[in-house]
Amino acid sequence: MTIEQSTIKQTTMAAAFIATLKRDLLISFKKKNDVVNPFMFFVIVVSLFPIGISPDSDRLSEIAAGVIWISVLLASMLSMDNLYRSDYEDGSLEQLLLSPHPLFFMVLAKNLSHWLVSGLPVVLISPLLAYMLNLPQAAYFTLICSLLIGTPIMSLVGSIAVALTVGLGSRGLILAVITLPMSVPVLIFGTLSVQASLNNTSPAGYLALMLAMLAVAVSLAPLASATALRISVN
Amino acid sequence: MWLWFSKLGSPKWFYELSGRWLPWLIAAMTIFITVGVIWGLLYLPPDYQQGYTSRILIVHVAVAGTSLAFFPLMAVAGVITMVWRMKLADMVAKMAAPIGAWFSFLTLATGSIWGSISWGTWWEWTDARLVTMLFQLFLLLGVISLRSALEDQDKAAKACALLSIVGLINVVVIKYSVEWWNVLHQVASPVSLSADSPNGPQFWIAIAIMIVAMYLFLSVSLILATRNEILQRERRSQWVQDLVRQS
Amino acid sequence: MSSAISESLRDEPNSQAMLSAQNLFCERDERVLFSELNFALDKGQVLQVQGSNGSGKTTLMRILCGLNDSYEGSIYWHGEKIERQTESFFASLLYIGHRAGVSKVLTPIENLRWSCSLKQQIDDEQILSALAEVGLRGFEESPCYTLSAGQQQRVSLARLLASPAQLWVLDEPFTTLDRTGVALLEKMLQTQAASGGAVLVTTHHKLDIPALNILSLG
Repeated sequence: MTIEQSTIKQTTMAAAFIATLKRDLLISFKKKNDVVNPFMFFVIVVSLFPIGISPDSDRLSEIAAGVIWISVLLASMLSMDNLYRSDYEDGSLEQLLLSPHPLFFMVLAKNLSHWLVSGLPVVLISPLLAYMLNLPQAAYFTLICSLLIGTPIMSLVGSIAVALTVGLGSRGLILAVITLPMSVPVLIFGTLSVQASLNNTSPAGYLALMLAMLAVAVSLAPLASATALRISVN
Repeated sequence: MWLWFSKLGSPKWFYELSGRWLPWLIAAMTIFITVGVIWGLLYLPPDYQQGYTSRILIVHVAVAGTSLAFFPLMAVAGVITMVWRMKLADMVAKMAAPIGAWFSFLTLATGSIWGSISWGTWWEWTDARLVTMLFQLFLLLGVISLRSALEDQDKAAKACALLSIVGLINVVVIKYSVEWWNVLHQVASPVSLSADSPNGPQFWIAIAIMIVAMYLFLSVSLILATRNEILQRERRSQWVQDLVRQS
Repeated sequence: MSSAISESLRDEPNSQAMLSAQNLFCERDERVLFSELNFALDKGQVLQVQGSNGSGKTTLMRILCGLNDSYEGSIYWHGEKIERQTESFFASLLYIGHRAGVSKVLTPIENLRWSCSLKQQIDDEQILSALAEVGLRGFEESPCYTLSAGQQQRVSLARLLASPAQLWVLDEPFTTLDRTGVALLEKMLQTQAASGGAVLVTTHHKLDIPALNILSLG
C-alpha cells in the first residue's frame, strides 16, 4: 500500500516462531533460577518419599514410578507459573498478541521452549532418581519414554491454565486447583505403562495412547492457550 | 440477526418468561419428588440380594445422572458466551457451577453411604464412576475459584467459559482413562454397581421418577439462582428498578 | 430501528481514511466510558487523544489495536473492518503501551531482535542504527534492568525506527522521557506523518506538530 510495505519484507511464520523460541530460551538461560528451582524441587520431593514412607527397598520399588510421576507433575506445575507472567508484566505479551502471525504458533514456540528448559532436564535426571527408589531395571526405558511423551502434554495443558490466570496477583494455588485434576489421564497412562513393563508385558499400547494424547494436545491446547491469553490481556 | 439473537438472550426476557414458567415447574418438581421419595424410599419392595439398601440407589443414581449434565451445560453456555457474548449464558453458567459441585458432592456422599453397606467400605478407588465424579468435583471447584479470583466480570465470563469447554473435554478423557485404569487394577473387585443391581420394573420406574424429579429440581434451582443474578447485575436498569418499586 | 441505523452506516465507511471508527461504545464496570465515538485518521495525520484520568484513553487505544474486544461499533482499516483482516492490520501496526514490551533480563539489541522480527525481517545493522538514533549508543549490550525507565522507553521507541509501520499507536509515550527524548519523539512523529504514515497518541503533553488533530474524551 505504501512505500514502507513494499521495501520491508515481512517475516515468515517460521522465522517468527524461531525468534520467539530463541528469545525464550535466552531468557531462561539468563534467569537460571526459574530453571533450576523446579528441577531442585523435583529432586527434593522425590527424596522425601522414602523418608516419609519407608526405606524398605521392596516397598519403594513398588511406588517408584508413581512417586516420580507425581513429583514431575508438581514440578512442572511450579515451573509453569512463569510461562507468561514476566511477559505479561513487561508488556511483551501485548506485542506477541499483535503479531501478524497466528498466535497458535507463537504459543507453541513458548511451550516448546518451556518444555526444553523445564521438562527435559527432569526427564533426563529421572533414571538416577528411579535408581534411588529401587525401580526394577526393566522399567527404566519405559519410564523415560513415558515421561518424554507425558511432560510436553502437561506443559501444553498447563499452559491453558497459566494463560487464564496470568493477570491475577497471587495465583500459585489456583493454578494447582485448575491444572492438577487435568493431569489425571497423563498420570494414569504414564504409570500404567511403567506397570506394564514391570509385569513383563508390552507398554507399547499405553505409550501409543499417550502419543495420541500428545498429538491432540499439540493441535488443540495452543488454541485454547491463545484464546485464554487474549481474554487475560483484554 | 445479531440484534434478534441478543434480544432472545436478554435478561429481561428471560426473567419474564421464567417467571411465568416457575410455578408450573415447581409444582411438577414437588409432585415428582414427593412420589419418588415416598414410594421409592418407603414402599418399594426390598431387593432379594441387597435388601432395603437398594433404596439408597434410587437417590444416588438420580443425583449422579443429573450431575453429569453440568459440564455439558456449562460448556454450551461457554460457547454461547464466547461466540455471541450473550450475558444470560454466562449468568446461567456462573450459577450452574456451584449447583453442579453440590450435586457432584451429593453423588459422592450417597454413593459412599450405599458403598458402606454393600461393599463394606465408604470409599472404593476401584469404582471408576466414583473416581470420575471426584475429579469432576475438583474441576468444578477449579471453575468456581477462577470465577471468584477474576474481578472483571467480562473477563471472568470469558475465562470461565473457556475453562468449562476445556473441562468438558477433560471430564470425558478422565472418565475413559479412569475406567481403563480400573479394569487393570481390579484385583479383588467388590460388588460392581451395575452387574449386581437389583432388578425388577418397579425399581427402574422409581429411578426414572427420581431422575425426572432431580432434573426438575436442577432446573428450578438454576432458574431461581439465575433470576437472582439477573436482578443483581441489571440493578441499574429501568425495568429492575420498576420491579423493585412495585413490590 | 437500531438495526436500520447500523445497516446504513455499514454501507459507507470512510474508505479514504486509513483508520476510522464508527459509533464506538464502551462500558467498563457499569460505567460508560464513551459512546457514539466517531473519528477518522488519514495518511499524514497525527491524532492526539485527550481526556482526564479515567476517561478511557488507554481502553480506546487498546480497542483500536485489537487488544480489547469489549466494545460495540465498528473499526475500519482502509475501509474494511479490522476483524476481517487482522493479519494485514497487525502487520502494519505498531503499538507501544504503558508497559514498554521490553524484557528486563535481555539487552536492548536482543529485545529488538525479537520484537521486530515478529513483524518484519530485520538485521542487526538496522537495529544498531535505530538504537543509536534514540540515543542508546553504548548501551546495546547491557541488560535492560541496568537501564533507567526513560532508557527502557527509548528501547521501545527504537522499534518505531527499526521496523516502520503505517500506523503507530502510542499510549502515553512521553511520560518517562527527558527533554531531549521528548524532542526526539516529536521529531519522529513528524517524520512518520510526513512520510505518509499515521499516528494515534495519548498524552497530556502539548504537542508541537503541524499536522495535529485532537480527539477529546469524557
